[in-house]
Amino acid sequence: MIPLEYYLLLAGILFAIGAYGIMTLSNGIKLLMCVELMLNAANMNLVAFSTHINDASGQVFALFSIALAAAEAAVGFAIILMVYRLRAEIDIDNVKLLRW
Amino acid sequence: MMDPTLIDFNFTHQAHWIIILPMLGFLLELIIGKYWWRKGGMFATLSILGSMIISFGCLYNVYVQEMPFYEYSWEWFYPGIVAGFTIDPLSLAMLCMVSFISFFIHFYAIGYMAHDCAKNVYFAETALFTGSMFGLILANNLLQLFIFWEMVGVCSYLLIGFWWHRPEAAAAGKKAWMSCAVGDCLFLLGIAIMFTIMVGTPGVSATEPISFNQIFQNLGHLHHAAPIFGIPALTLICVLFMCGVLGKSAGFPLHVWIPDAMEGPTTVSALIHAATMVTAGVYLIARAFPIFLAAPNALMIVAFMGAFTALYASTLGLVVNDLKRIFAYSTISQLGYMIAILGCGAVLGVTAVAYALFHLVAHAFFKALLFLSSGSVLHGIGNVRDIKEMGGLLKGMPWTGYAMLAGALALIAFPFTAGYYSKDMIIEESYIYATHGGALGYMVWIFLVLGVILTATYTFRAWYLAMTGEPRSYPAVHPHECGIWMKTTLIVLSVFALGLGIMTGGGHKFWDFLKQTFEQETLTATGAYPGLDMHDIAHYGGNTLMHHGAHPPQWVIYLPLLLMIAGIAIATAVYYKNRIDVSKYVKKDNPIYQILWNKYYLDYLFKDILAEKIIMTLFTFWDVLDRYVIDGVVNLLSWITIQSGQVSRKLQTGMVQNYATAVIFGVSMLMILVIMIRGGI
Repeated sequence: MIPLEYYLLLAGILFAIGAYGIMTLSNGIKLLMCVELMLNAANMNLVAFSTHINDASGQVFALFSIALAAAEAAVGFAIILMVYRLRAEIDIDNVKLLRW
Repeated sequence: MMDPTLIDFNFTHQAHWIIILPMLGFLLELIIGKYWWRKGGMFATLSILGSMIISFGCLYNVYVQEMPFYEYSWEWFYPGIVAGFTIDPLSLAMLCMVSFISFFIHFYAIGYMAHDCAKNVYFAETALFTGSMFGLILANNLLQLFIFWEMVGVCSYLLIGFWWHRPEAAAAGKKAWMSCAVGDCLFLLGIAIMFTIMVGTPGVSATEPISFNQIFQNLGHLHHAAPIFGIPALTLICVLFMCGVLGKSAGFPLHVWIPDAMEGPTTVSALIHAATMVTAGVYLIARAFPIFLAAPNALMIVAFMGAFTALYASTLGLVVNDLKRIFAYSTISQLGYMIAILGCGAVLGVTAVAYALFHLVAHAFFKALLFLSSGSVLHGIGNVRDIKEMGGLLKGMPWTGYAMLAGALALIAFPFTAGYYSKDMIIEESYIYATHGGALGYMVWIFLVLGVILTATYTFRAWYLAMTGEPRSYPAVHPHECGIWMKTTLIVLSVFALGLGIMTGGGHKFWDFLKQTFEQETLTATGAYPGLDMHDIAHYGGNTLMHHGAHPPQWVIYLPLLLMIAGIAIATAVYYKNRIDVSKYVKKDNPIYQILWNKYYLDYLFKDILAEKIIMTLFTFWDVLDRYVIDGVVNLLSWITIQSGQVSRKLQTGMVQNYATAVIFGVSMLMILVIMIRGGI
């Protein structure tokens, strides 16, 4: 039986990697991947806690969250795809047409 | 034998239909009349016929069946602001006159406007005009009266400028609107003051603060109201009302719009002068008469302004060459007579209202007749309006010519015509006022008497120049008589212009009916207003009413008659027999003629000096103020906004990383804050 702390630690590390990626990267695909990392860190927390308190509803919640992440990823990648078609690049630092 | 259910029918409870029917006629003309051009005018004419039937039904109820006076109110908005109608002799006299005259003018217009391409619009507007006038007459409170008063003004603006493609007509409409607006603003101010005082007076349980009956019942309290700028409040209110009257009823100095209003179709002139527009002012004083009576000095101002207007306008009638404008000036003058006799009410009491209203009704008949017959002249000779270019029309259009003669005789108060009974009584009674009213009273009487000779002269000058002698222009050689619609109207109106006095027993039936107006109780749906004691009300204003009718000396009675004959004689000698040659006086270098020709420079004063010099100069200042101060403040505010935006929008970098960092930083800070406050998660 792996103690709860290990799960939380892993989730924390995953979240930190994702957050760091979001704050530093400029490649659109990589950004979305980082978002996925953060999301999955949260899912992991849900599952870990649900096993810990012996209640399945946390896992159900995680399933919903995964479905949501899929939808979000679809929208995100669609936007990136359109950006690529328009500008032949996916560097989001340059996507600031509506700034000021 | 009439159907008894019809006789028993209580029309007075259905009086709101008098207003609603013409409004329906207005809508039908606008919507359906457009697609039914050939029958144009039917809706308007029939709807006004309906109003006329109800009006005469009410008259039958009250006069023959002696039903009580009736007032009905609907709750409108704000506690006590109501919409409603009053049926009493005063409103009945006006209703019957307006509906009757307006119906016949519509009837005439079916012929007169037959070929106008916008005639459905014309009839829609006249229906609305008449309907608004009904609303004004029936109003039982000042606010409703004012709203319809303005609607009448709007309709007159629209109709005077009906042939808007002619610049003179458009300008005339604008002038009418603006002259009236000057008076109307002050009138509205008067209503506002009345409202404030009625609401604020202790002891007044004013459930309907500006309903006429409530005001009349509380005059005893009102005349204690605190003076405003040292003027008794009621007097100030009455003076402000009087300003509205001067605008609407073409009193000096706001009469300037009336002659120009002749640019509209002649039927509109007839409607404005006889039935729907200018009588509104006289009606307002008559309706609010107890207020005027209770206000110190108010009626004196009314009498003087009226008499001055009467004389002033009749001097102008002498020099004008436009047939319609001559009659326009005579309207101003006759309205002056009505207003003057209302002013004499300070001595005569409610009888003065009866005299004024009888002259109003008689005037409506003969003035409508004069305008419609001059419309027939215009129709017959191709819109020539200058009497210098007419002449000898009597041969070509005898019906029109004799109808105009009937109108002219009534206007100058020739014996046994309608005007004889109405106007001579006004002059006699103004003499009685003079004997009680001091020097100013005599001035009123003298003005009115002098007006008689001038009226006779200018009226017959117009008639002789237009109808007799040789034709002085090509169109006048071959005039053609008007059609059946117009001819019928002229005959009906002639009968009334000549016979109204005899029909009403020398006016006595009319006066006796009208005298009951304020002194009998009025029934409402919830209770009854008792009749007013006019003597008490007169004492509030420092007036003393005569207790019994006094008779002026014989020479006063015969003087107007003599002067009238003298006036006719002058006109005959100059313009018919050509015994006296006036051409050496009627020249531009004669200063008196020049003053009269330029209408005492009043138009010059208003337009060139007041409007173009003074108002335009003020406007320049205002323009500078607007451009630099007001615009400056607005521009400064926008400049500040833009500049602060320039700085603060740098926050929005457009870089996703920055936003993400800010979010993560913010959330972390929040969590730290929570931990610090709660001491642990």
